[in-house]
Amino acid sequence: MFKLLSLSFILFTLNVSAHPVIYRDGIVVSSFNMDNMNDQQLMYSVTEKFAAGLNSLRFSHDKKDTDLVFAKLNHLAYRYNGHDSQANIYLHSGIGLSDHRAKSQGAFMYGAEADWETRTLFLGLKHFQYYSPHQFDMPVTMARIGFSPFTASFDSLQSWFMIQAMHAPLADKTVSLTPMLRFFYKNVLWEMGASAKGGWMLNLMVHY
Amino acid sequence: MKFIFAVLLVSMSSFSFAESIKVTVNGMVCSMCAQGIEKKFKKIDAVKDIKVDLDNKIVILETKDKQDIEDAVITKMITESGYNVSSIKRGANE
Ligand SMILES: [Cu+2]
Repeated sequence: MFKLLSLSFILFTLNVSAHPVIYRDGIVVSSFNMDNMNDQQLMYSVTEKFAAGLNSLRFSHDKKDTDLVFAKLNHLAYRYNGHDSQANIYLHSGIGLSDHRAKSQGAFMYGAEADWETRTLFLGLKHFQYYSPHQFDMPVTMARIGFSPFTASFDSLQSWFMIQAMHAPLADKTVSLTPMLRFFYKNVLWEMGASAKGGWMLNLMVHY
Repeated sequence: MKFIFAVLLVSMSSFSFAESIKVTVNGMVCSMCAQGIEKKFKKIDAVKDIKVDLDNKIVILETKDKQDIEDAVITKMITESGYNVSSIKRGANE
């Protein structure tokens, strides 16, 4: 057990949030919901490189739920600020508890995330691992590609069309493809989508 | 008509007394993340108004009573928002 605990401090995790670390002193509240998955986060950016907070997740598969709750540390490991583009690499780590098949015990998460964006194009890739000893060791892999049909000014509504591919075996053994719409206005972001299999998606994120 | 013109002239001239600082920022592509820049500068007393222009990648700061804001402070605010300063230019607002 101790070995696993120390391992979790060395490894890092990745979460589902689009903005794992924001400006110094900023707070991110996000709620990511699909028909078979929920991810709620509250993260505080201590600096522009590190954010700490809480994350709770639920994966549902065949009416059986796996619940997870983590204390998290996110790190912006690399940032590229270009004239017309931006790229980021984030590392994530988490330590907490899992409730899987009526058994509660310790759990960890770790992973990495990369994105590249211009004002009209977005590419994102995330891979994270959720681990509960003797229970499960499950990946969540997510890729997103998006484009914005027009560039909106700073104070106006931004609209994006995106396609998300996700593989999360705790919720679904196969890859789900979800075309979606992303909107954001000032410090509020919301997304809605529907997968090819008929699943739904509804996300909300606020920066303070 | 004359009155409107006079009001316009007065309001424009009062604007020209404000110091204007033009900061060119790299990496400013997403308006949601750039909210942090606005939030940070609004906390500075000397800042009367801030405009974020994503098309030209500039942040324009209007200061109260021709006050100046040091380059180091501007750079700190931009860096803490996650971006890089590429240049800082000063001049009366025209
Ligand atoms: Cu953003």
